[in-house]
Amino acid sequence: MRHLNVFMTRSITMSTLLALIGGCSAGSKREGAYVDHLPLPADTMLTKMIEPGVYGGRFVIGATAGPKTFNSLMGNETSTTDVTQRLFSALTDIDYVTQDDIGVLAKSWETSTDGLTTTFHLRRGAAFSDGHPITSADMMFSFDVVMDPELHPSMQDGLTIDGVPATYSAPDSFTFVVHTTKADALILAHTGSVNIMPKHKLEAAYKAGQFASAYGTDTPPESLVTSGAFRVKSYVPDQQVVLARNPYWLGVDAKGQRLPYLDELVFLVAKDQNVAALKFHAGELDGLDNVKPEDYKAFTDNQQKEGFTLHDVGPSFNTNFFWFNLNRVKEAKDGRRIGEPYVSAAQYSWFSDKRFRQAMSMAVDREGIIRGPFYGFAFKNWSTMTSGNKKWFDPELTGLDYNPSEAKRLLASMGMKDTNGDGFLEDAKGRPVQFTMITNGDNKLRTDMINLVKDDLAKVGIKMIPSPLDFNTMITKVRSDFSYEAALLGLGSAVPSDPGMGQNVWKSSGLTHYWNIKQAKPETPEEARVDQLMAQNILTQDIGVRKQTWREVMQIVNDQCWLVWLPSQQMKLPVRSRFGNIQPSPMPHRILWNADRIFRKPSK
Amino acid sequence: MRTYILRRLLQTIPLLLGISALTFLLLQAAPGDFLNTMAENPAISGATLEQMRRNFGLDQPWYLQYFIYLKNIFLHFDFGESFSRHQPVFSVLRTGLANTLLLATAAAAVTWGLAIPLGVIAAVRQYSLADKGLSLMAFIWLSVPEVLSGLLLLFLAAKTGWFPIGGMRDLDHDYMSAWGRFADLMRHLALPAFVVGLVPLASRMRQMRGNLLDVLRLDYVTTARAKGLPESKVIYKHALRNALNPLITLFGFTLGSLVSGSFVAEYIFSWPGLGSITLEAIQTQDQYLVMGAVLMASGVLVLGNLIADLLLAVADPRIRYD
Amino acid sequence: MTEPPAIRLDEQSLPSLSPWQLFLRQFRRSTLAVVGGWLLLVLYSMALLAPFLSPYGPEQMDRNRFFHPPTPLRWVDGDGRFHLGPFVYATRLSDPSSLQYEEDRARMLPLRFFVKGTPYRLFGMLATDRHLFGVAEGGRVYLLGGDMFGRDVWSRLLHGAQISLTVGLLGIAISFSLGMLLGGIAGYVGGWVDTVIMRGTELLLSIPGLYLIVALRAVFPADLPSQQVYLAIVAILAFIGWASLARVIRGMVLSIRRAEYVAAAEALGASRLRIIVRHILPNTMSFVIVAATVAVPGYILGEVFLSFLGVGVQEPAASWGNMLNQARSLRALTSFPWMLFAPGAAIFLTVMAFNFFGDGLRDALDPRKTPGGKG
Repeated sequence: MRHLNVFMTRSITMSTLLALIGGCSAGSKREGAYVDHLPLPADTMLTKMIEPGVYGGRFVIGATAGPKTFNSLMGNETSTTDVTQRLFSALTDIDYVTQDDIGVLAKSWETSTDGLTTTFHLRRGAAFSDGHPITSADMMFSFDVVMDPELHPSMQDGLTIDGVPATYSAPDSFTFVVHTTKADALILAHTGSVNIMPKHKLEAAYKAGQFASAYGTDTPPESLVTSGAFRVKSYVPDQQVVLARNPYWLGVDAKGQRLPYLDELVFLVAKDQNVAALKFHAGELDGLDNVKPEDYKAFTDNQQKEGFTLHDVGPSFNTNFFWFNLNRVKEAKDGRRIGEPYVSAAQYSWFSDKRFRQAMSMAVDREGIIRGPFYGFAFKNWSTMTSGNKKWFDPELTGLDYNPSEAKRLLASMGMKDTNGDGFLEDAKGRPVQFTMITNGDNKLRTDMINLVKDDLAKVGIKMIPSPLDFNTMITKVRSDFSYEAALLGLGSAVPSDPGMGQNVWKSSGLTHYWNIKQAKPETPEEARVDQLMAQNILTQDIGVRKQTWREVMQIVNDQCWLVWLPSQQMKLPVRSRFGNIQPSPMPHRILWNADRIFRKPSK
Repeated sequence: MRTYILRRLLQTIPLLLGISALTFLLLQAAPGDFLNTMAENPAISGATLEQMRRNFGLDQPWYLQYFIYLKNIFLHFDFGESFSRHQPVFSVLRTGLANTLLLATAAAAVTWGLAIPLGVIAAVRQYSLADKGLSLMAFIWLSVPEVLSGLLLLFLAAKTGWFPIGGMRDLDHDYMSAWGRFADLMRHLALPAFVVGLVPLASRMRQMRGNLLDVLRLDYVTTARAKGLPESKVIYKHALRNALNPLITLFGFTLGSLVSGSFVAEYIFSWPGLGSITLEAIQTQDQYLVMGAVLMASGVLVLGNLIADLLLAVADPRIRYD
Repeated sequence: MTEPPAIRLDEQSLPSLSPWQLFLRQFRRSTLAVVGGWLLLVLYSMALLAPFLSPYGPEQMDRNRFFHPPTPLRWVDGDGRFHLGPFVYATRLSDPSSLQYEEDRARMLPLRFFVKGTPYRLFGMLATDRHLFGVAEGGRVYLLGGDMFGRDVWSRLLHGAQISLTVGLLGIAISFSLGMLLGGIAGYVGGWVDTVIMRGTELLLSIPGLYLIVALRAVFPADLPSQQVYLAIVAILAFIGWASLARVIRGMVLSIRRAEYVAAAEALGASRLRIIVRHILPNTMSFVIVAATVAVPGYILGEVFLSFLGVGVQEPAASWGNMLNQARSLRALTSFPWMLFAPGAAIFLTVMAFNFFGDGLRDALDPRKTPGGKG
């Protein structure tokens, strides 16, 4: 053991040395510092950042997969959007630190007093990466694509409010108007999700019905015309994507220098997390946005030696929870009658009892979970807006935490007791209280959690049988055939991380209202109240009202324990210290959201 | 000979058809479909999913989907599109296949490059310490699960800096000279080829040893010895050539099995091959991509067998095909 | 690809020994094969006695001892005094952030034998709660360390052996009966039956094995209870394994069926199936035994592969494959190596034992090598 340690320290220094040599040569050996010869656009975008930087350098980030397409409107998974968000820009974006809206291609905007019409004034002089000007015609084109019923990109959902699609028009080349039939607090988030793609390059493909396959990864990089800060320089399938600056980009720093600073932004694919971590330690990567809690220790210990900082981003916006299946048959099929629960009658009688769900919440030892699978790096969490969410986190909100004796009391009050002495409870009618809980087996954190939960529930006399499945099977069960009893899953974060983005989760008609999805009308008075509150929440721009209604929603949810919350991971992201303007965010695109501002600090 | 090759090639058509049908049935029997992968995204609605299902043709009954798939192949040589990449399957798989073949070839080079000389040593010094030691080592390596040996080698690479950690090319690959690129590729190939290539080493070495021993027992070797030729000349000039013949025919089979054998190594070493694409495609149920990948991998295997048979015909003139 | 060793009946073997004696004599010549055989015997006995030999239940967690390192058995205490019975020291978590434990030299926990613990059924029948060894309540003995839930790796390894060691045997039993029967029928009956069976094997053999495993596994619903997942794994691996054997058996049957005694049996009016099972297949036995022994490691590694894909035997049930893959990380390798190397070594030993044993069998059953003769 001791021998191994000696060997390791020595070799780490060796690899650091190699990394330094490799690092120094990178980026600087081929060309001199970049000189911007192109005139700046009339309306530049002054970009907020910690400090102005200098041109040059290459930033290499690890990716779990390569992009599936460069078509920003057709890609959905983060490995794709991580790249396409750098390539294309929209009317507005949000500042990932404050979650405030900021204008990108739109210089300014105003919303009518009834909240139904938003008028965007575009920046003049904005251009695609081929120099072709960006005008409202490109907005019209991109919105046409997004609202196309056949293509149906996912952004269409946000722009369809209560079933009515938003309408839009372009009164002149530099004005773009969006109109909805109902006010929506998140209209800017939704219009901002539509990245602008070049009409002059893609209209033909769209008219020919081939938009979905346009700008695929097989397109030659030089023919990809982008509207964002970067363009594609080279692409090797499943290995790496190299982005270079868009020389026409409209973003500038306080000194009037055009962004981005970096010569190259490289996405290097390393599917296996072990490989990614080793690559980082060896200096092959400059940033890693997906690190397991178990590896935090090795990263913390080597910061000095390997020249990087492990940024503590705080609690992840991703949540974990389990719930009980309260779905009931909506159309008679397979010999089931309408209104019959999918779980057994006994299970339904327990699951639908609030006391039972509360007891389950109080049976879970969350600190034990944090100590175990999270290696201590996690926080208790009681809402989809975790404590990492500076804008929306509500410290007043709490849930029913670990209290096994109270849990036992609640279960006893339901008439449950251990009549046959096997250590597990039977209900008032003598039926053993047991159920299975599904989760996706490919997620190690979740399978670890489910095992601890099983142990916890056994301590209050409930027999739970964990059943890890593959993700697809699990989702089929949860969404379509409802043949499960309880499930453990999580939710990712939307951008922005706003309660209004979670309509599908909280509204009783929602597809992600997991415990009882797509209800024709709310089945319980509490769910009716939540529906009402969510509608109010989204109708107004008044942040005070929105926070109040949101708090009330979560209070109901946590009292009902429809979702039994589990801890959320503390996120730590390593980035080489030689880069400036690093401000990682817990939202998707964690390190790269401000890639246009990242720069390589000049060596002293 | 030519008609034989033609007939064999024609025979592969129903075979590949059968494989495609089997794969398709398996995919249909598996629960869920491609669209399930979007389930964790809170922003995607049911309407979006329904429209996507129609666009991908997943709302059709399975036999119709399969029929359309076959029709497109036979009429247009179109193997369908990957759902996630919106790209023809063939263009997605092309590079993956090339990378896998590269790895398989390198692994085969490792296997044979070691198996032949070591097998000869073991045969020449039969029952010696070297013979026993070599077979012991080959067995030991055979017994370490790739999952473990891969991780250990990666760790070794990281700690020593002797080899790059996974992947296939250096970042500066494109700026290198032709020689530099080749060296870069070799450096990246070394560890995965080692892991994949050492698995069949034990049995190949054993075969080489056995073959040589068999040949050494033959009359003409005895004659050569009787004529007073030095033992080294007997072995290396006369016996070795004949002992190699049966091994040549095995080469084709080996290539086929290495394609399958590289599955785990590809994942562990982030080698962008057919195996890792297939795995991802199966996990996301990217239907036609899976079909294409399985057909391609099977095609390589069938082709490898054909080559093996042809080599056998060339090596052993007693075998005739008509 | 399995290439059949050439079967050549050698008439010159020593007449004074029966074939069985001949075989034993030849087999014993190979030290490695004998060692392999004994090792297998020990491993399988340990799997059979798993609940008795393990101090704890395989799923018994300990919230205060996550990632506990192995507790060495000691005979000499801190003051240099020798104790007849082995003991371990009690431990406490000294550094929660890096999960370091330190021994509490003041608290000795003597190892007790035939202690009471988790109740279980030995051989699935005898209800008891006695375990071979253990320590007093409040402490724990971790021969091979603890895992991320404070479960005892040694206990899990033994229980995992019940799965990992039988996957191969059961799988072989299924795939070889299938392969022998179908190969036998194809070879004996011939005609269209032969064509259909052979086209079927060709189809299976043309799909690279692991690709087929992955596709097949996707079909089985993964929410099966762990016994059924286990059976599904066996079924998948067996389904892949039968085809190549069937082809070889068919070839052997084709040559055997011309033998006189087959003609005699036919003349006596024996049914076809009877002829295949009673007269033809037994003649392929020596080849089959060797092929089966050598094939078992493939099944054990197949289970590891399925666990690697996350679709093998699922937690909390233990198998060597899922234990190895749970620990397949840098953190485990550097901080908790026992979690990685315990199942790794178990798999390694078993696979190697099978290979040595099979190799010895092949040599002993291969009549080309006559005892005493030099090659």
